[in-house]
Amino acid sequence: MTRAEFISRLKRGLVGLSAPAADEIVQDYEAHFDAGAADGRSEAEVAEALGDPDRLARELRAEAGARAWNQQPGASSAAGAIFAIIGLGAIDILILLPIVLPVFGSLIAVLVSGIGVFLAGGFTLVAGPFLDFPGGPATALLAGVGIMGLGVFMTALCAVFVKWLIDATVWYARLHYRVLKPALDQGRI
Amino acid sequence: MPEHIDTQLKKGVLTLCVLTLLNRRDGYAYDIAADLSKAIGMGEGTIYPLMRRMQTDGLVETYLVESAAGPSRKYYRLTAAGRRALEAQTAEWRTFADAVEAVLAEPAAATAETKGELTQ
Repeated sequence: MTRAEFISRLKRGLVGLSAPAADEIVQDYEAHFDAGAADGRSEAEVAEALGDPDRLARELRAEAGARAWNQQPGASSAAGAIFAIIGLGAIDILILLPIVLPVFGSLIAVLVSGIGVFLAGGFTLVAGPFLDFPGGPATALLAGVGIMGLGVFMTALCAVFVKWLIDATVWYARLHYRVLKPALDQGRI
Repeated sequence: MPEHIDTQLKKGVLTLCVLTLLNRRDGYAYDIAADLSKAIGMGEGTIYPLMRRMQTDGLVETYLVESAAGPSRKYYRLTAAGRRALEAQTAEWRTFADAVEAVLAEPAAATAETKGELTQ
């Protein structure tokens, strides 16, 4: 493989990253070829020692996803990290699906009931004093605030758990980087 | 699958190796890759995902050095967290290697005896 071919395959694999991030990565590999040339190695030698550019691009994209999630946890960075990791093929989605679906299902259930409890609390707070609430209007107000608090607590618990779940997914995927595979494939042990 | 064990072993110690090399002197990725490729047969290209990951984890940081020939080079150095990680991982590795060594060195008779004790 020539230098140009390696770089173009790498670039193709990095589509989806921001332009500065992709440029920085490409520059790393360009510099590697420069240093290799200064070392008296041919382009083909350096390219072979580097390994498979498609595979490297997938790992770099997964790493960029993990980094974005670490720096700024949020819905879009979470989605980015998860998609990049799925692209890595690190998580066999068919095997994990039966585990993941119930977990996400329960999470959504808790989230929805959290919101439901919050609304019910709000209703008790507003309408309680005017209806014939057992214990009088003051009890209705207190009960309303209490129930709303419970709703907020359930929703917050859910958010914490989702963050933890994504962290765990990123950690799991990193365990599965096949970092040394190219070298072993080529029998250069 | 001997190859599989090989891969897993190397993957586990790769970070430790990079931390150790960088603790000796700051380096740029090409040198680290060449050293490790020679020492443990790592694919050179894998150094970049690894360095990025270590940077994300705050173990290393980069700075640019003007080079006489061509563009400036990106050097890596350990952060304080990196040095702490190096200490912790070195200790962990020593303990682990000693334990494996002890298992391998244990005479067959002793192993059988221990097994007997366990089953009783």
